[in-house]
Amino acid sequence: MSTLETSVTTSSRASAERRVEVKGLSKSFQLAKTTIEAVRDVSFDVRRGEFVALLGPSGSGKSTVLNMIASLIRSSGGEILIDGKRVVPGKATPDVGYVFQRDTLFPWRTVGDNIGYGLELSGVPASERKERIAECVAQAGLRGFENAYPSALSGGMRQRAALMRTLIVEPQILLMDEPFGALDTHTKIDMHEVLLRIWEREQQTVLFVTHDLGEALTLADRIILFSARPGRIKDMFEVDFVRPRDAVKVRETEHYAELFQHIWHSLGEEFVKGRSV
Amino acid sequence: MKRYSALGTVGWQVLICAVVLSVWQWGYDLRTRLPWLVPDLLDPYFISKPSMIFDNFLIQSCLISKLGAFNGDFGKCLARNENNLWAATAITLKNTFFGFVTGVVSGFVAGLILGRSDRLSAIFQPFITAVNSIPRIALAPIIVLAFGIGDMSKIVTSWIVVVFLVFFNTFEGARSIDEGFTNAARLLGASEWQITRTVVIPSTMAWVFASLTPAISFALIGVIVGEFIGAERGIGRLIIESEARGEASGMMVAVVVLMLVGVVLSAIIWRLQAYLLRWQRQRGAE
Repeated sequence: MSTLETSVTTSSRASAERRVEVKGLSKSFQLAKTTIEAVRDVSFDVRRGEFVALLGPSGSGKSTVLNMIASLIRSSGGEILIDGKRVVPGKATPDVGYVFQRDTLFPWRTVGDNIGYGLELSGVPASERKERIAECVAQAGLRGFENAYPSALSGGMRQRAALMRTLIVEPQILLMDEPFGALDTHTKIDMHEVLLRIWEREQQTVLFVTHDLGEALTLADRIILFSARPGRIKDMFEVDFVRPRDAVKVRETEHYAELFQHIWHSLGEEFVKGRSV
Repeated sequence: MKRYSALGTVGWQVLICAVVLSVWQWGYDLRTRLPWLVPDLLDPYFISKPSMIFDNFLIQSCLISKLGAFNGDFGKCLARNENNLWAATAITLKNTFFGFVTGVVSGFVAGLILGRSDRLSAIFQPFITAVNSIPRIALAPIIVLAFGIGDMSKIVTSWIVVVFLVFFNTFEGARSIDEGFTNAARLLGASEWQITRTVVIPSTMAWVFASLTPAISFALIGVIVGEFIGAERGIGRLIIESEARGEASGMMVAVVVLMLVGVVLSAIIWRLQAYLLRWQRQRGAE
């Protein structure tokens, strides 16, 4: 496994402590009568406070890996440890937050009640809940929409509300499955800014699934590149742009262009393979 | 859909009522001059006349004692007939209400449980299909036989027609819940009960409400059929009595009261639905 030779100077924040450990993970499932191998022998670690992007073409099993880490689906082999404890399928791991590709805001709850949902579940009193919802609403730039239903919001606003619904319970580990995949380029970059500012402040450990190389480079400390089906880890790249990053300006640097080109070639091969499968 | 002015719509509605009522009221009078135009069915012996129905309503409801005279003693008039219009309406409404509520609650709970459990729904599926294939109204005589001519048989008849309707809708609703919602709740730490309460029930509500308007009509039908078969009181009983006397206007009064009751009950359901499902209405500013 080759790793791009770059000096790891800026990632001093990332201590050696491992929060997420994935060991020999695999997943096959039955479709009609054929067995499809979605993920084959995937192993990697994520350090505390590290922002890792899982990059690959669609069908490369990166979302499957994320969903296994999230306990949403059962693995066929291997194991996943979060803070040294095994992940049990179907049982949410405390401290782990998840953001879906499609916003899953509850249409029958107002924006404010959606954001406060996690607090409601853990029995936080209404007055405290109200305060924290107000903070989150302000942070997401949704002031004035607390009492609106999600159907009245634009895609970007909904995704911000969904992000806040996850963040309000202050998860230490954040799993994100192409959360900005359905947004237009402009809204997407706005969301990158929002996410970067939050992450710089809260220092969560993030696993971010995407097929967008630019997005991975903008956000992540490290990119794990997945191959076309069956999904394996093809390569890993350190992304050493200085923090704090500016989601727009980072794209204008020469180093960004270099890295982009370097990874693009490797990713491109997988996109071609993915098409022929 | 093109929008029409509300006034124009109401104007047409008034016109249609006026035409229908006029034909009903005076149509048969044309028979002497134009016998080929007027069908036998318009004979007031069968369908009465709006004016006769109105007069009959005033008498049955004890508002007047006989034509042209206001009732001196409302209470005495009511006491003379145990199944007067007011008491009959009250008893029919009461039984409809209990049949409806028990049917909705049991249908909802059963639909929710079977809809969320693949195992239970697999076990019960053939039984449900079999029982659902019985025209429920056919059971009414058996129910009256079993539960007697009192209120209980009406409530049971009403329950049995409502419960399946609500059950199937709830079942479908519970089956078609977006997994994204349950996953989101689970990952935010919701227990199974919390998921049921905050995700399954609200997202099934739209399906349940779709069944409530027909359910309230069915509940009323169940009670009336039960009263036809055997009852001492109720609107269904009034209809049977008037029929025995060959009194069309008496039957028509009961039918009109039933219509009004049905309209009011549907309106209540509709208002409740508009409130509980208010999140469905806001569509908007993309």
